[in-house]
Amino acid sequence: MENLVEFRHITKRFPGIVANDDISLSVRKGEILAILGENGAGKSTLMSMLFGMYSPDEGEIFVRGKQEEISSPLVANSLNIGMVHQHFMLVENQTITENIIMGIEPKKRKFGLFPVVDLEASHKKVHQLSLHYQLEVNPRDKIEDVPVSTRQRVEILKMLYRNAEILIFDEPTAVLTPQEIESLLQTIKALRDGGKTIILITHKLDEIKRIADRCAILCKGKLVDVLDVATTSVQHMSALMVGRDVSLTLEKEEYERGAEVLRVDKLRVVSPDHICLVDSVSFSVHEGEILAIAGVSGNGQVEIADAIAGLIPIKSGKIMLSGTDITNVSVRKRIEAGMSYIPEDRHAVGLILDFPLRENLCLKRYYRPPYSNERGILQNEAMAELGRSLIEEFDIRTSKGNDTLVRSMSGGNQQKAIIAREINLDSKLIIFVQPTRGLDVGAIESIHLRINKLRSEGKAILLISLELDEIMQLADTILVMYNGKVQTIKKANELTKLQVGEYMMGVHVEKN
Amino acid sequence: MKRTSLLKRLFILGCGKGRHQLLRTSLFCIFLSLLAGAILLLLLGKNPLEAYTSILQGAGILPKSRYAGRKSQLTDFMSLLNYTTPMVFAALSVAVALKCGIFNICVSGIMVFSGFMATVLVGYSNLDPFLAKILVVLIGALSGALIGILIGYLKHRFNMNEVVVAIMLNYIISYVVSFFIQTRFIDPITRQSVAVGQNARLTLFDHPVGNLKMEIALVFPLALLAVFAIKFMLDRTRFGFELKAVGSNSKASKYAGIHVGKAVVFTMLISGSLAGLAGVSYYLGSNASIQPRVLPSLGFDAIAVALLGNTTPIGSFFASLLVMVFDCGTTYMSSRMQVLREIAALITSILLLFSAIGIFFRNLADRFEQEAEEV
Repeated sequence: MENLVEFRHITKRFPGIVANDDISLSVRKGEILAILGENGAGKSTLMSMLFGMYSPDEGEIFVRGKQEEISSPLVANSLNIGMVHQHFMLVENQTITENIIMGIEPKKRKFGLFPVVDLEASHKKVHQLSLHYQLEVNPRDKIEDVPVSTRQRVEILKMLYRNAEILIFDEPTAVLTPQEIESLLQTIKALRDGGKTIILITHKLDEIKRIADRCAILCKGKLVDVLDVATTSVQHMSALMVGRDVSLTLEKEEYERGAEVLRVDKLRVVSPDHICLVDSVSFSVHEGEILAIAGVSGNGQVEIADAIAGLIPIKSGKIMLSGTDITNVSVRKRIEAGMSYIPEDRHAVGLILDFPLRENLCLKRYYRPPYSNERGILQNEAMAELGRSLIEEFDIRTSKGNDTLVRSMSGGNQQKAIIAREINLDSKLIIFVQPTRGLDVGAIESIHLRINKLRSEGKAILLISLELDEIMQLADTILVMYNGKVQTIKKANELTKLQVGEYMMGVHVEKN
Repeated sequence: MKRTSLLKRLFILGCGKGRHQLLRTSLFCIFLSLLAGAILLLLLGKNPLEAYTSILQGAGILPKSRYAGRKSQLTDFMSLLNYTTPMVFAALSVAVALKCGIFNICVSGIMVFSGFMATVLVGYSNLDPFLAKILVVLIGALSGALIGILIGYLKHRFNMNEVVVAIMLNYIISYVVSFFIQTRFIDPITRQSVAVGQNARLTLFDHPVGNLKMEIALVFPLALLAVFAIKFMLDRTRFGFELKAVGSNSKASKYAGIHVGKAVVFTMLISGSLAGLAGVSYYLGSNASIQPRVLPSLGFDAIAVALLGNTTPIGSFFASLLVMVFDCGTTYMSSRMQVLREIAALITSILLLFSAIGIFFRNLADRFEQEAEEV
């Protein structure tokens, strides 16, 4: 088969780290090549070089047999290379068409004189494109009004509109629900069958197993192996990726129900435009119990967590923590009453990106001794001490330790920092929302182990996740949400994965 | 080709990544504005070097060749400090608010308000000078704080944009104050408010020291103190931590248990009282009366000055000093070099313009740096 892209001895260094170390890899025409590796293994860096966002320090890139200097994404575009980034690059208040044609707008002259963008023709072209590739979108919708999965389709259409033949997907399924993942995988397959060449950056092994033809495995910046997916086991791939064997199932002790820690009673949350997001939800979490809330994204799960943490106002209902009513107390009082919260959005909520790591690790304790004295003066030494010990204990990898700006850290290490801070609070209740989103197998395993350990220490854990496997693996009790309502709440061993899936889709409605 | 790459290299050197990037950018901006000013002077047929020397001489940084009786370099320098004092307060006011993510453009309005309050309440009284001066400072800070709290509260409680609120308040204050001045306190000859008594003024004019007569800004030490107090507050205190956290990411701050509204209101209280101090040191210091329906441009210049100082307290202080050196020195330069005062003022404006676009320069340098790496 013809090699469409060839990396030859690519090396890329960043201050203090070798992101790619002498990588030689070829991409064949018409295949789906998966790039597998842990966070920070150098997958995105390698692909960013193909897309012209970085230039290699050493080595050459050949496209269609010719050596190319890909100095910018524009050059990549002219070589028919397109990329869907993990964080979408879309203008929120413009329509889908406007986003797709941006930069290469077709123009016409109104009254033969004034140049204007030919929106009508563009709408039509986008519509045809979306029909042809079965990527349904309404070209006239504004980006801010459409869900994440549609935004992703827009990103894909954007590449196709630019006649991309080599499509790079950077962790495309990280933000999608199981159903959306399914349809995306079908789309990717269809694109391949239509003659496109696809490079898929991911760390989800089952997706690779299902759609990829070959799989290149990176570990710590080095290319470990390129494997034929059909003849390789998932275990073998994951072992190569982390450099050690990973147990994909978790050993769990029997669950012993302790005292009640959190009690939520008939909670109702209404959005600013009066849509009911959470509709009289009641449940309780006990010591040593992991209660998992399952549901398709956007069915009110995150609002439950935010309401418990006091970040959004509630309409009615009652929230009790260890026997005290915290329905109307401030966020800080709730934290002090024994609540840790790992939020869904690490960048917007969990961290202050422009603060150094030390201050982020101290974000919920800075105001108390020993981190500040009774006159309100910060004690930097105590803060630094806490930072050092958490960095050590939780193996947070940074370039400058305590003083590293959190913005410059990788996603996995940012999540580690949040988890370190929250566990260090030693709260009775710990709320995890999507704790493993966008993380690699090694990091997921370590987070799962940690959650399990907290459970055996007698913490009450509320886990909200879109990953069904995660829920099935960890939960003692499963609560399924649909349309803001509780579909069912049952012991984990009374439910199968299939049943949970059905509840999530609203197939059964339990009367209670 | 060679020339452009040299220019880009200059940019990278000036504002590129690395140690002291912020400081280097500010210095680079100053250098560029001096360069632009030099070109302007060359076009007018003047020697730029001589012009800049005379600016420094006028501001009391370099000695002049001749002095009038009872004047010396020291008197020039003391008058520079006198004019710098309100600018330091104003720039600090802008910088503190910006650290909390608030764009305070109400400094001018607050200055007029606090100046007016102090003028009316103390300026026309026969109080003992010591007591009167202390009262002026207190009233200035308090009335400024009031307006600050109002802006902070409106922003927090009703989610109103502080810029819009500030613009409206600027108008309201300016017109209400001029209404009272024109109906009650007008001096028919100067068409300004009646000058305040010497007992209430924060600057001693023609004060004999040795055989010299000089201006002594009594609140300049207070301005210096404020610089260090604000620096300490931002770097070392719990409240400074909260203020910066809210400015950096208010959602994360709320999540961490910080009372965002309280931080915003408190920040505006501090920013407002600093602006109030700028007001009294301006209207009852370097000036003695209020011109109706005129907002002091100093309050707006302070925004550029704070940016030139990278919104740090120490930076704001030096930026204020620099801008006021130009402001004070240009009078002497225009008379000595036969340059119109407007042209001289233009050089100050160019400095302010370049200082406000430092961030742009920094991004430009980052881009050039990337390009340079790729070639």
